[in-house]
Amino acid sequence: MSGVRDRERACAAALVGLPGMTPVRLSLLLDGLGPTVAWSAVRAGSHPGDPSRRFAEPARATEPGEVARRYADAGVSVLLPGDRRYPAALVGDAGAPAVLCAVGDPAVLEARPAVALVGTRSATPYGAKVASGLGRELASAGVVVVSGLARGIDAAAHAGALAAGPDAAPPVAVVGTGLDVVYPKENRALWRRVAASGAVLSEAALGTAARPRVFPARNRIIAALSDVVVVVESHRDGGSLYTAEAAARRSIPVCAVPGSVFSHASAGTNDLLADGCTPVRDADDVLAAVALARQGRGMSGPLPAARLRTGSRTDAARPAPAPADRVQRSVWEAVDDTPTSVETTLLRTGLSLAALLAVGEELVDQGLLTAGAGWWSRT
Amino acid sequence: MIASIPSAVLLGVDGRPVSVEVHVSNGLPGLTMVGLPDAAVRESRDRVRAALVSSGLAWPRRRITVNLAPSGMRKAGAGLDLPVAVGVLVASGVLDPAAVDGLAFVGELGLDGSVRGVPGTLVLADALLDRRLVVAEASLDEARLAGGSCVSAPTLSEVVARCTGRHPWSEPTSRAPAPAVRAAAADRADSGDLADVLGQPIARRALEAAAAGGHHLLLVGPPGAGKTLLATRLAGLLPDLDTPTARDVTRILSAAAELPPGAGLVTRPPFRAPHHGVSAVALIGGGSATMRPGEIGLAHGGILFLDELGEFPAAVVDALRQPLEDGVVRVSRARGSITYPARFLLVAAMNPCPCGGAGMPGGCRCSPAARARYSRRLSGPLLDRFDLAVRVDRPEPADLVGWRPGEATAPVAARVLEARRCARRRGVAVNADLPAGALDELAPLDTGAQDLLGRHLRSGRLSARGLHRVRRLARTLADLDGSGPVLGVPHVAEAAFLRGDRALLLGEEVR
Repeated sequence: MSGVRDRERACAAALVGLPGMTPVRLSLLLDGLGPTVAWSAVRAGSHPGDPSRRFAEPARATEPGEVARRYADAGVSVLLPGDRRYPAALVGDAGAPAVLCAVGDPAVLEARPAVALVGTRSATPYGAKVASGLGRELASAGVVVVSGLARGIDAAAHAGALAAGPDAAPPVAVVGTGLDVVYPKENRALWRRVAASGAVLSEAALGTAARPRVFPARNRIIAALSDVVVVVESHRDGGSLYTAEAAARRSIPVCAVPGSVFSHASAGTNDLLADGCTPVRDADDVLAAVALARQGRGMSGPLPAARLRTGSRTDAARPAPAPADRVQRSVWEAVDDTPTSVETTLLRTGLSLAALLAVGEELVDQGLLTAGAGWWSRT
Repeated sequence: MIASIPSAVLLGVDGRPVSVEVHVSNGLPGLTMVGLPDAAVRESRDRVRAALVSSGLAWPRRRITVNLAPSGMRKAGAGLDLPVAVGVLVASGVLDPAAVDGLAFVGELGLDGSVRGVPGTLVLADALLDRRLVVAEASLDEARLAGGSCVSAPTLSEVVARCTGRHPWSEPTSRAPAPAVRAAAADRADSGDLADVLGQPIARRALEAAAAGGHHLLLVGPPGAGKTLLATRLAGLLPDLDTPTARDVTRILSAAAELPPGAGLVTRPPFRAPHHGVSAVALIGGGSATMRPGEIGLAHGGILFLDELGEFPAAVVDALRQPLEDGVVRVSRARGSITYPARFLLVAAMNPCPCGGAGMPGGCRCSPAARARYSRRLSGPLLDRFDLAVRVDRPEPADLVGWRPGEATAPVAARVLEARRCARRRGVAVNADLPAGALDELAPLDTGAQDLLGRHLRSGRLSARGLHRVRRLARTLADLDGSGPVLGVPHVAEAAFLRGDRALLLGEEVR
């Protein structure tokens, strides 16, 4: 890499970090100009993309070399279109980020199919289970799982992909915050593992905090990086529907996991199915969609090892063994696969509260029920 | 000539004796009132004059000075009309001083000379027990509750006629008759029967425990789940008030002018449900010139129900913490300071989050920011006072098919009464008052229960502070079931469940 290229990266990083910078303004500033030229023009106040010269003052107070050192210290690399490590899937995309920050190795995306697993932050145990199951099986089949490292479905998908072991395809995360800002905080460990095994990407400058508008913007990158987008669980107005919309605009197939018609958390995904999206029952359904999508776009490279209907279905399809004890069985039968309140279970069994709580605890200990605050669901 | 007529004014929930001194002398005709009268007292000049004239009594064409002693204390209310009028009559020689000897007067005067009742007659009578009190006819029953000697008269001219012995006092003036006790059964019907509650076995159990053990209760659930219905049914479960509490409750209601006419001693626990727009002063008291008791005073001995707890301003809710701890309210204002009892059962209802769906995974559609804003409004120390926090959901119709109708109020109330007797044998009114130091003796745990609580403590589901509360609650549940002195696993597990996970209140994320 030449010094010219380093200077370009430094200037690009400095531009991204200017206060008030958005992806749209950034591509406007960099449109047709190299980062170095754009930076000098912004700094001089003569850039036609910045007629109000709002960026001139902060730019004069910024030293690109200093910014580049900060990125290097944080272990964050700055990728520009044209760089070898800039994801090929984004090249030519209308909404491609003009500058992409990365921790880990974004090259894991090359020569592998990629599937986005997205969904609601307030996931049900069902959604979390499907997401982690799909994550694990897709990663084992050599598919890069792309998600957003948010709470709920995103976290479950990444955790599943990582659980597939070191030989599986590594996961890639696209986050809305700066790469030094872990959000949500409880995903810190997961974040590190994704970065160590695959890559965490962001178009935001270091230090960018979580704000509502950064997340829909990053969803377009998730969609653009993927061959297929799978919405695992989404409310009717959920943020993951932005990802589905961004995928549809790019003619990327959108699949959805069906859910109970009584579950708010599946209302959005069931709507997608009604609109004609491909239903996903297990990883094989996704692999088939990936194969079709890549063939349709004339992509070369190895297809994922589709084990169409040969392997076993995901665990969910396998009936769980019922407990043998009569009372335990009556409680287990009164609990649905979706979270069922203790009160409902009480009404269905007719047991006393104390007796029900005791039996419920036994079933949780046996691993037949999952317990939450005031609810149970079958595992 | 000078006259001194005993009367009393209201401050908070107490009557303060006031001596109305009237001096009539030569000088420019007119009436001057001194001794810190407030507006209503000052206006009595015009009412008294009109009442005297309409009653065919002479208004002295001389200089009248009225002093309200002790002159350093502010006086409020219209109850001083009657003593001022009597004082004027005595001082101007119409009435013989001997005729009013040993009498005290409380009443408002109409322009036609009629005598009207005033709020707080009971507590005013309490302050004047050493005299025979003359009140309006409408207030006679209330005044008698104080236990002193009381008489009434319908008009000012009758007051004069009866003082001078021309007419007899209308009622026997011996000891007060037995206070009228309202039919408890009729009162219970007011609050609705527990049989109206369909399903909801957990909320029912929580209501029963709250009534029996005096445990504060928080109902969490989406709109329309029946939280308010449940809370109103709780009033019917509480036993009748004991006599000292009934007296306190009646006094407070009287001072707040909320005692219904002819109600007698209030023996049923009150149920107060202030709207969430309530101000801190209206809740705690001390607002008006008489420092009227607040909602928490009016709930003394009964239930204070805060519907939509999340909508109450934080400052208002936090003002509850001291009374919840001490059972009394102390309000200090420039006018003075008052103290009154406020030992109530706090029942609150709230949505788990702005959309109401939190608590069950996947049910909430709020943004995390909206959820955080909502939960910040509830102070942790207040939430900690709730021994019972249960989730109330709309029952699914399919689950109610074939479900036997719920138990009615009467049998549950009988169990509650029995459990309260158990608590009294331990030397406390309710189990919630059991001192922490005596729990090992009064609520011992068997080994299984100890293990269970140990597991809860280690897993972080229970805090050390929550431990005592769970044990008190388990004691109540065992009392309700009539089981022995040692607490076993079933009751302790049930208590830990009914105390509720703090996560339950604000929804739980699944990872």
